[in-house]
Amino acid sequence: MKIIKGVLEEELQNSLRMKKQYEKALEELPKGSFVEKDINGHKYLYLAVREGDKVKFEYKGKLSEQKRKKYLEVKELRAKYRKNLSQIKKQVSFLKKALNDKELRSL
Amino acid sequence: MHLFLQRLFREIDYNSLIRTRDIDFLVPIPPVFKEKVDVHELLKDLGFLIDFHRDGYIRLVHPELIIEFLVPERGRGFDKPYPLPQLGVNAQSLRFLEFLETNSMKIESDHLILNVPHPAAFALHKLMISERRPKEEKRIKERRDAVHILNCLIEKGEKEIIERSFESIPKRWKTKVVNALRIAEEERFNDFLK
Repeated sequence: MKIIKGVLEEELQNSLRMKKQYEKALEELPKGSFVEKDINGHKYLYLAVREGDKVKFEYKGKLSEQKRKKYLEVKELRAKYRKNLSQIKKQVSFLKKALNDKELRSL
Repeated sequence: MHLFLQRLFREIDYNSLIRTRDIDFLVPIPPVFKEKVDVHELLKDLGFLIDFHRDGYIRLVHPELIIEFLVPERGRGFDKPYPLPQLGVNAQSLRFLEFLETNSMKIESDHLILNVPHPAAFALHKLMISERRPKEEKRIKERRDAVHILNCLIEKGEKEIIERSFESIPKRWKTKVVNALRIAEEERFNDFLK
């Protein structure tokens, strides 16, 4: 049991550290995500930025292919980081619950 | 390593006691690479982040995997992480790793050829480093894992490989193995590991 407790504690520390890092990485990504709107058959690019409860759309007009690619990469990265952060939060909650178990607590 | 051991000992139902997320890559010194690869840039697409450990060495982290690079520590050792500019990372130096480097075997997994330590060397190495672990539970875990692997090898009829690996190590390392087994109260190895 002592070994299990030690491993769980180490894993919890790793997950808590990772949680902070993913939160920081998400904060550091450029704000907003690009959306393409189809209006009367024409494609327009907007940057959607959340401001409190509202989502504000900033018209960006035409973008160079390079810039567009970069924004798409950021969008993908943000989605991955969010997914990973959600996974880590679940791990943290599971590990805390496991460590709070009566048998492990008594060690 | 866990999956490899599970595959190797499938007839005797190997089960690791505990599995963690760590995966370590041993880099020989001097490092030889055919080309320069930025490992973090490659893994970034999978959502990996760079984690700078307080001792200065780099880990690549993901909710499912924690990747670290290791180099064998020789002589007085290195007080800083060992730089690996060819991979865009650095490595932590650890004792006795050259033993794993020279006692490795090739396996194929998911169309990849992997160099993994031979289980006998892996187990003996765990015994050697067990006493260097600062936490008691870690020391116990290293010893238990090692004994479990050694038992599986004996059950598989590979006792001679353990003996050969043991014979190949320096006397001081042998003492560490024997001491760790004595602490673990594992007397079944006394007849051939002494």
